[in-house]
Amino acid sequence: MRKVILKGLLARKLRLALTAVSISLGVAFVSGTFVLGDTMTATFDQLYEGLTEGTDVTVRGESAFTDTTTLGNTKPFDTGVLDEVAAVDGVAAAEGSVTGYALILGKDGEPVQPGGAPTLGASYPDVEELSGGMSIRSGEAPAGPGEVVLDAATAEKTGYAPGDPVTVLFADGPREFTVSGVLGFGDADNLAGATMAAFDLRTAQQLLGKEGVYDSIAVRADSGISPEELRDRVTAALPAGLEAVTSDEVVAESSEAVADALGFFTTALLGFAAISLLVGALIIWNTFSILVAQRTRELALLRAVGASRRQVRTSVVVEALVIGLVAAGVGLGLGVGVAAGLRAALGAVGLEVPTTTLQVQPRTIVAALLVGVVVTVLAALLPARQATKVAPIAALRSIDAPARPMGRVRLVLGGVLTALGAAALAWALIEEGQLQVAAVGMLLALAGVLALAPAIAVAVTTVLGGLLARVGGTSAQLARRNALRNPRRTASTATALMIGLALVSTVTVVASSMKASVAEVIADSSKADFILKAASATAPGIPAQLAEELRAVDGVDTVTQMRFGPAQVDGATTFVAAVDPATVDAAANLDVSSGAVTDLDDRSVLVSDDVAGAQGWAVGDTVEIVYAQTGAQQFTVAGTFGNTDLIGSDYLTTLATHTANGGAPLDIAVLLVAAEGTDLDTLRAGLETVTAAYPNAQLDDAASFTESQAATIDQLLAIVTMLLALAVIIALLGIVNTLALSVFERTRELGLLRAVGTTRRQVRAVVRWEAVIVAVLGALLGAVLGLAFGAALTRGLAEEGLAVVEIPGGRLVVYVLAAALAGVLAAIGPARRAAKVDVLQAVAAA
Amino acid sequence: MSAPSTTPLASPPAQSQPAAAAVDAVKAYGTGEAAVRALDGVTVAFERGRFTAIMGPSGSGKSTLLHCLAGLDTLTSGEVRLGDRSLSGLKDKQLTLLRRDRMGFVFQAFNLLPTLTAAENIRLPLDLAGQKVDQAWFDTVVAAVGLQARLEHTPAQLSGGQQQRVAAARALVTRPEIVFADEPTGALDSRSGADLLAFLRRAVDEFGQTIVMVTHDPVAASHADRVVFLADGRIRDELHAPTTDAVLDTMKRLGN
Ligand SMILES: Nc1ncnc2c1ncn2[C@@H]1O[C@H](COP(=O)(O)OP(=O)(O)OP(=O)(O)O)[C@@H](O)[C@H]1O
Ligand SMILES: [Mg+2]
Repeated sequence: MRKVILKGLLARKLRLALTAVSISLGVAFVSGTFVLGDTMTATFDQLYEGLTEGTDVTVRGESAFTDTTTLGNTKPFDTGVLDEVAAVDGVAAAEGSVTGYALILGKDGEPVQPGGAPTLGASYPDVEELSGGMSIRSGEAPAGPGEVVLDAATAEKTGYAPGDPVTVLFADGPREFTVSGVLGFGDADNLAGATMAAFDLRTAQQLLGKEGVYDSIAVRADSGISPEELRDRVTAALPAGLEAVTSDEVVAESSEAVADALGFFTTALLGFAAISLLVGALIIWNTFSILVAQRTRELALLRAVGASRRQVRTSVVVEALVIGLVAAGVGLGLGVGVAAGLRAALGAVGLEVPTTTLQVQPRTIVAALLVGVVVTVLAALLPARQATKVAPIAALRSIDAPARPMGRVRLVLGGVLTALGAAALAWALIEEGQLQVAAVGMLLALAGVLALAPAIAVAVTTVLGGLLARVGGTSAQLARRNALRNPRRTASTATALMIGLALVSTVTVVASSMKASVAEVIADSSKADFILKAASATAPGIPAQLAEELRAVDGVDTVTQMRFGPAQVDGATTFVAAVDPATVDAAANLDVSSGAVTDLDDRSVLVSDDVAGAQGWAVGDTVEIVYAQTGAQQFTVAGTFGNTDLIGSDYLTTLATHTANGGAPLDIAVLLVAAEGTDLDTLRAGLETVTAAYPNAQLDDAASFTESQAATIDQLLAIVTMLLALAVIIALLGIVNTLALSVFERTRELGLLRAVGTTRRQVRAVVRWEAVIVAVLGALLGAVLGLAFGAALTRGLAEEGLAVVEIPGGRLVVYVLAAALAGVLAAIGPARRAAKVDVLQAVAAA
Repeated sequence: MSAPSTTPLASPPAQSQPAAAAVDAVKAYGTGEAAVRALDGVTVAFERGRFTAIMGPSGSGKSTLLHCLAGLDTLTSGEVRLGDRSLSGLKDKQLTLLRRDRMGFVFQAFNLLPTLTAAENIRLPLDLAGQKVDQAWFDTVVAAVGLQARLEHTPAQLSGGQQQRVAAARALVTRPEIVFADEPTGALDSRSGADLLAFLRRAVDEFGQTIVMVTHDPVAASHADRVVFLADGRIRDELHAPTTDAVLDTMKRLGN
């Protein structure tokens, strides 16, 4: 029996290769995700371990809560603490340090790091053992107010060398320095992708707004004293509000926070991987179904000469096992490439992932092989069961039995699921904010359509094929009949494409709704003539100094700043916005429904109508906000507002409150209103002379702001589409596969066609038209589902600022046409094969 | 039954050019020791409006000759002519169009596309050529094979004999210069076989069709005007206006 199986495998090389490709791609995505995730985690682990090397205990301000939003952002404390710590018995060395925001500008005046990894300003350590592997590679350590050392990666990128002048941008504006040296971090050129500008301690304190304070103190123990022992001793000496933690604790806490942040990212990627695998599984299942159908005679013959049902089933499953294993192995290899590709793609849109060697862990290998094999074998099991049902007499039947019609149960089930799904989607469309209903509706509708697919395939193919036959004549007519011959096969080939396209369409609808919503929000909520934001969406903000300088420009009436900071309300982390109550009304339409913006002071807060309604808060009530650095703070509700679209936060405090509670002095946005009668073009020119010194800030008017937001959304859309494209590619491979198998199966028919006078070109056209029918069927279903899904999701996300549902009709049409074109491409190989069929062999085979 | 005006009722004059002919046709497979000469210098002509049967033992080269005459296969040497046209050197496309427009085929089995109805299968060569169906002629042919009630059926819904008659109707619908049939009754019971042969005979008598048919069956051969006997790739004998007994006798004689 083993020999039979192996011979069977080898005899179908091409088909197997195509099947294997779809599995490989799915597995590649899964393993690529793992590799990328592990690599990122490993990078950060290495980073934190390196940073704390030589340090046993760190002293820092206590945090009321710790998560990614607050990591490494503790409350500074008085420098006097250092003496107290140094005096503790068992302390060998102790040194205080500060960090903050410092954006290095390249020789071209552009930011070295526009977004993504942090841009750090720091004090350069004096005590070598406490430097965490930081060392000067060339030049000298910084000394005095005019000197800076840069990380080696930045130096490499920009070409800065010791002695060169360099501009660094701080929260209070740009400053000139001389590069005194270049820094390395052990073997690494930078800290997990972050740029660093380091100064001597006193200079750093001044520049970073931390005069007389430290962010942390690194402590090293005398030999023979454990870090835990030292921690306890230091803790005893610390004033309230400070804590001492061992390096192990710092590393563990940081890793956890990073894993948390990456968790979302890897989950999302795994989601895409799951989609690819689902599509891959559909194709494998389809392929095996066809293979089994084609081998009906062969299998029946095996049965007739005495092979047991079990042996036949085993032969199919073993075949799947072998393919699954080989394909998963190949996929694993590809996965490393996928990880590198994903990293590059993320880097291209400013989400740079720090570099270290790609991590392939045993877990990844096991997962990849397991996923590949399990999916393949499961997908092959159903056809294998059918294979065992093959009766020996089937071997004698000369004309293939017509395909089994769809079961009534499947029809009813599919109908019910589709109807329920449609109802749920309709509900989500009518009522805003029903995200769960929309999600349930999507799942139900998808399941329903999958179940109904053969019936839908018949209906659509009949109509579509009829239309195509007008264009394509007899060839298209024959193709239509072929597509209708086995609706299950046509349907499952098309649904693989449908899933990919439904997702792409969904994302497209949501994205264009986002764009339309941004435009509407700006039109409705902003009264500003100009808007300033960080040029990169991932940058932390723009220096506060910029707003100051803008106020002095001729023709400016109002400049109002907005900031953002993390805080907890009711135990959940949220972002609290900070505004200037005196000026915000002039530039933004907050739609205040009770109280007044001008009542907002340093002890009060404005709460959105939604949150106020949900919590039962009214003007005069007390709200507790917990800041990481300063702990629980009580605020009085000064008013409630309806429009959260522009600011995107449910809580508004004053800028002073933001700063007092440890908020960074970086503006997330600056809104600017021109004085009456000012020519906006002249004003813009005036503003640009100021913003020129801040290359990380982008000056926009309402129209260009909408455009640049749209560009950001398009970028995101491009990434997501790229990730989903894999599913679409797998689906197209599925079409190639199915067509190739069908061509093989119809050798005799093709020979007959050729014998009675069908030209090669016509034969190719038949195959091509069939591919077009299948592709357009899948694409149409996908586009229709995606449209419904996207619209329902958008309505579900209405409260997140998606005010408008925008259907990108033209784009969806383009998708369907592109799918048709892809179908033509997918048909090239199979069509060639079909045209090459040897007429004589085909007619002789009778 | 009215005959179409373009084809004469009676057989054409004997001196007119044959519908198809092979001259010194040689077809060799393989080389050296293993070489097989499936056709070993065959010269034969098929007159217009006549029904010729080709007989011979298995492996004698009957199918090969038919395939070469139909341009489905190429000769090693010699020449095949369709009417006044030599098939030598024609490209695949030209041969395909010749088959579509000027020849008809009936194979032993698997003659029909399973996805098309009987009517569509019959019309297939015309549809491929993008030609309009001559409805009167179509009806005449369908009536002659007795398939009026089965036109909308698919091959799976037809018996083997009915399928062969559909194939025969398809072969005639383009009014080809010649119809080739390779053991068209081979897979049929004697009753269905007789029906099909009767139809082929009528096609010759009433429509002046030229038919060349390969068969193993002396009864089938007796429906023809002439029988050509092949053995080892050569023409060995010929009978005109054959009877079953005469065919059997010749077969016996050649068998020794
Ligand atoms: N493709 C081929 N390669 C090699 N030899 C071939 C090939 N096709 C036919 N032959 C050989 O040519 C000879 C004639 O074959 P052909 O099929 O014409 O015989 P036939 O008279 O039709 O036989 P049957 O009555 O069994 O159909 C045989 O010896 C056969 O083995
Ligand atoms: Mg033969």
